[in-house]
Amino acid sequence: MELSLSNEQQMIVDMVRRFVREEIVPLEMHLDPDADQLESDDRERLVGKVKEMGLYGLDIPVEYGGPDIDVVTRTLMAIEMSQHRAGLYAPCYGVFGGAGLAQLFEASDAQKEKYLYPTLRGEKRGFFGLTEPSGGSDPARAIQTRAIQDGDDWVINGGKIFISGADKADFGLVFARTGGEGRGGVTCFIVDTDTPGFHVRRIVHTLRSAHYATELQFEDMHVPAINILGQLNKGFAIANDRLSRQRIPYSAGCIGVAVKAHEMALEYSKQRETFGAPLSNRQAIQWMLVDNEIDIKQATWLTLEAADRARRGDSFRKEAAMCKIVATESAGRVVDRAMQIHGGYGVTKDFPLERWYRELRIRRIGEGPNEVQRHIIARDIIGAGLR
Amino acid sequence: MKVLVAAKRVVDYNVNVRVLSDESGVDLNNVKMSVNPFDEIAIEEAVRLKEAGQAEEVIVVSVGTSACQEQIRTALALGADRGILVETDEEVQPLGIAKVLKAIMDKEQPEIVIAGKQAIDGDNSQTGQMLAALGGYGQATFASEVELGDGTATVTREIDGGLETITVKLPAVITTDLRLNEPRYASLPNIMKAKKKPIDTYTPADLGVDVTPSIKTLKVSPPAERQAGIVVETVEELVDKLKNEAKVI
Ligand SMILES: Cc1cc2nc3c(=O)[nH]c(=O)nc-3n(C[C@H](O)[C@H](O)[C@H](O)COP(=O)(O)OP(=O)(O)OC[C@H]3O[C@@H](n4cnc5c(N)ncnc54)[C@H](O)[C@@H]3O)c2cc1C
Repeated sequence: MELSLSNEQQMIVDMVRRFVREEIVPLEMHLDPDADQLESDDRERLVGKVKEMGLYGLDIPVEYGGPDIDVVTRTLMAIEMSQHRAGLYAPCYGVFGGAGLAQLFEASDAQKEKYLYPTLRGEKRGFFGLTEPSGGSDPARAIQTRAIQDGDDWVINGGKIFISGADKADFGLVFARTGGEGRGGVTCFIVDTDTPGFHVRRIVHTLRSAHYATELQFEDMHVPAINILGQLNKGFAIANDRLSRQRIPYSAGCIGVAVKAHEMALEYSKQRETFGAPLSNRQAIQWMLVDNEIDIKQATWLTLEAADRARRGDSFRKEAAMCKIVATESAGRVVDRAMQIHGGYGVTKDFPLERWYRELRIRRIGEGPNEVQRHIIARDIIGAGLR
Repeated sequence: MKVLVAAKRVVDYNVNVRVLSDESGVDLNNVKMSVNPFDEIAIEEAVRLKEAGQAEEVIVVSVGTSACQEQIRTALALGADRGILVETDEEVQPLGIAKVLKAIMDKEQPEIVIAGKQAIDGDNSQTGQMLAALGGYGQATFASEVELGDGTATVTREIDGGLETITVKLPAVITTDLRLNEPRYASLPNIMKAKKKPIDTYTPADLGVDVTPSIKTLKVSPPAERQAGIVVETVEELVDKLKNEAKVI
């Protein structure tokens, strides 16, 4: 059992850490506290640097020219990349390349050319349209959006809610009912956002102010049959493995934010004096710092274990669910304590804490709410028959 | 031409060090260690000389415990060709390091040695100068620009109140100042290649060098805590305080 980083992993981590500290954080000081984009010339300059580092397009498979990085190293990098104000939802403002929608890796070659690779190169944006007003935890049962075949096309009617970034996307994945009830009757379609009948009904404002979720409506939207992703009525079968895999970087992002918040709290508690002594001399504060340390450590090891199982090709569904729960919940606690230690300053927009505090709250709901993750684990340890 | 670069393993510049309770030194337990930032500039300068076709080989040397291999690997990932570790568990001091470097120079016969102007741990700023004196080489310290000529190097030095330009004969020792260059990031392919680059290991005894410390540390103590600042109301008040309280004017 090897629990320490290899020399190469350490160098990569050091390199990314330096990049975040020296390139991203200084620029951030001049941006709006809720910004999730860099000025375009800064962006281009940094993308250039990342390309020189050989790290651009982190999630592009090696055979398509992406860097050769295993899941564990990728996870270690993700922990570094989120250590700045916008880092949770916009790690390094995307200068390491776009994130592909996991399901597109299972697409046909033609679909990959048209949608996946442009996204990974940062040229196109996609949305993921699963949740409907009828419910997101158990979409297999809840989906009411319908697709009906009409010659070579499918005609889609219905709507979606909470869909991130659909107003700025070029295309998206829309899950619609094509058969009977339950998971066996749902198909995934790739939909271009300029398709007639595709409407962004409204922006749904959330506590994540920089980023808007949208409500979508589809009215007699014609989508060609070649845009079916995977097989008819097997929309849920595709990329199950990749969906669990996505929970690993999702957890890593939370850990990075927690690491930074904890670092800030440690430093501040040593400087700030009350009643004639630094806060760090008080046991009440020390215990908060100790709990932060423990929270970060447990989240890190659980996440790295899930990543390591994925790297070795072992099943990691349960481990991914565990790290998703622990990382999202513990990061929330760490930021909450860091905020408390900072007192009034903690809730000002002069510090990134208030942004992390808001955004982290979403993380217990997004990417499969934590109750559903617990359900996955329960099924694993009690039996698959569990509903 | 061969370029020799010296790289020291030091506490990372982001770490706030803590003095040990027995005042014998600072606590290095679980502390992040890195390449001395001035030495990173030295590595960068050497690699640029190679990229410009002015140097054929860049050799990086580190003196210290076996853990210094990490710093050598970092230098290899930044573009150095091979490494030399002179391994010792002794506390290494400027004179000891200078003697080791002199022995390596005798062995490798480089035309240029580039080192940091100081290491951020001891802030001694002595090693480069001692090495030049031991070997009778030219020396150009605090360099902010280096240009190679035929058997010479023309170096712009950062000195109090301005810049000085000197030409030294090779072989020479150059020490780097902050503005000499901006070190690059390592790249993923180079990090992977660094794995395969050779590192030779010697002990000081192999080189016939005695690195026994010549300076004894009596006590290490943290700098005095700074007093909190105050806001003054008027210029008169400021002048008064500077004159009568701080007694600086
Ligand atoms: C900012 C934001 C962005 C989002 N982006 C997207 C997106 O891009 N694409 C997309 O498709 N969706 C997106 N979502 C939707 C998100 O995935 C859903 O909100 C989530 O799946 C939960 O669904 P729901 O809101 O309908 O809650 P419900 O399914 O109604 O669940 C309500 C609560 O009950 C709990 N619960 C459910 N079942 C059980 C059970 N069996 N036992 C115990 N508790 C249970 C849930 O955990 C939850 O806490 C986003 C949401 C937000 C807030």
